[in-house]
Amino acid sequence: MNPTIELKELEVQLGGRTILHGLTGVLKSRAIGLLGPNGAGKSTLINTLLGFHSPSKGSARVLGLDSHTSGKALRSLVGYMPENDAFISKMSGVRFVRYMAEISGLPREQAMERAHEAFVYVGLGEARYRPVGTYSLGMKQLAKLAQAIAHGPKVLILDEPTNGMDPPARKRLIELIREIREASDICLLLSSHLLRDVEETCDEVLILRNGQIASICNLVEERRANRKFLELETIGAEATFTSTLEGLGCECAVFTNGRIKVVMPDSVEIREVFKVAADRGVQIRRMNHRRDSLEDIFLNAMEQTGAADGRL
Amino acid sequence: MAVYKRRYNPYAGSLTPEWSRFFVLTRYAFADLFKSRFFVLLLILSLIPTLFFAGYIFIANNKTVQLLMQLRSSDFLAVESRYFILIMTVQTQVAFLLNCWVGPVSIAGDLTNGALPLFLSRPFSRTDYVLGKLAVLGLLLSAVTWVPCLLLFSLQSGLAKDGWIWSHLWMVVPIVLCSAIWILMLSLLSLAVSAWVKLRIVATGAIFILFYVPAGLGEMFNAIIGTHWGRLLNFSYMFRLILAKGFRDRTWFLITSDWNEIPVPVAWGVLIFVCLLSLVILNVRLRAREVVRG
Repeated sequence: MNPTIELKELEVQLGGRTILHGLTGVLKSRAIGLLGPNGAGKSTLINTLLGFHSPSKGSARVLGLDSHTSGKALRSLVGYMPENDAFISKMSGVRFVRYMAEISGLPREQAMERAHEAFVYVGLGEARYRPVGTYSLGMKQLAKLAQAIAHGPKVLILDEPTNGMDPPARKRLIELIREIREASDICLLLSSHLLRDVEETCDEVLILRNGQIASICNLVEERRANRKFLELETIGAEATFTSTLEGLGCECAVFTNGRIKVVMPDSVEIREVFKVAADRGVQIRRMNHRRDSLEDIFLNAMEQTGAADGRL
Repeated sequence: MAVYKRRYNPYAGSLTPEWSRFFVLTRYAFADLFKSRFFVLLLILSLIPTLFFAGYIFIANNKTVQLLMQLRSSDFLAVESRYFILIMTVQTQVAFLLNCWVGPVSIAGDLTNGALPLFLSRPFSRTDYVLGKLAVLGLLLSAVTWVPCLLLFSLQSGLAKDGWIWSHLWMVVPIVLCSAIWILMLSLLSLAVSAWVKLRIVATGAIFILFYVPAGLGEMFNAIIGTHWGRLLNFSYMFRLILAKGFRDRTWFLITSDWNEIPVPVAWGVLIFVCLLSLVILNVRLRAREVVRG
């Protein structure tokens, strides 16, 4: 099976400046998040994947299709929701989506049907006959999502989808994105400044900094690994407690003041740690089920490639 | 993704052929145009001269009507090449006015709110986009230039009889060719202006300026230098020159000076150059993403 995105020494120059510096990486997950500070090259990467910019060196592939040489074939698989305003203000919402679906190749009747369905699906059913120019910012975002999904794409590219949305609208949009991802075999590429948006919807993250890959992180594996890592603060017989845990297959590291770090194998559950502690008369005063948040991963990536400038 | 189910379903139905998709733009543009009463009125008005020309042809070929109206055959301008030059001149000027109303908004509406990336992120190229927009103007301007002109030609052929059609069949070529270059130049020029200027009134003004200011500058140049090459900046004059040569008839309302002073291939070259320049402007302006240099 082709990876979702494959970058090989991808270099993109715009206006005489190199924006992307030889990106190389393979992203196999169905839902990929694109993170990075302002000016990191996220939008340039998306535009290159869509064939809007030609690589000066290297290549970018989406589902095995080269963005430069097979641009048209690739774009026939894509639904794109741009970051900035993108609509035809005088058209009614449903006509606008129908228009876009017809350009994607849907016959008139199907385009009409899908446009209505997409509008109702994103929650704008009541406003579908109003001109798009009269919509609020949040409604325009939803209209952009509707036009991106109406033709049933295989790859959905969302550039800052929650921009300008209030918290309930943002929550609803994130739920929609998750629903779309789960209801079909659609691949998702989501670029956002909001780490939470990416964390809630994506399985893999590509972090860019200054046009270079700072990190590629599989969030699913990261979550699985973190689930088995405990930090404990105990009072009592540490030695017997740790040796019993080691007998169960755990790895323990003992520090001062009763602090213990435990890495548990998959077969051991947390309740067994409590049971051992109770049996050995050890009080567990604090338990930190360590979970590397995406924020930690992002900040680590920023530190590895230079000081994080906190521009997120 | 049925409405009542409110869930997402991928599309698995048939797709239209890729080559035909540019016509979606044309269809939607026409639907929008015909919503405007002013446009419908303008279109009707632009076809009224054709009705007069048709009436004239009918009377010129009908002795009974001439008798009833107490007119003599010598009062009539013969329905020959000169008459068709007159029709073409009137209708191409009507086309110019129609183009000034329709052309300026054709691309500007998409650029104003950044809709272009939505078109170009689909299996739809910039060429398809320009073709779709060009087809709107092409069809519209055809409807007021060569189509009515050929209908009048057919009417005359039918009424004149006596083999008139065979002796005048050559006129079909200048009717179609001259209309084609005029339509192409007007359409591309107004699309280029529309891609550059977003306000309708400014864009319409820009089209008028492009036609009349260089012509005036050209005449000034002619007067100062004592040459005739300044007329190359007068696109309407270049078209009239092509028209007159195409119909092999020099008339007072077309060419006011020596009609051999500028060779016809040069006149064609000027109009083709304007078309190419417009295409270059469209190529620069129609980008999914603007790149800032520096």
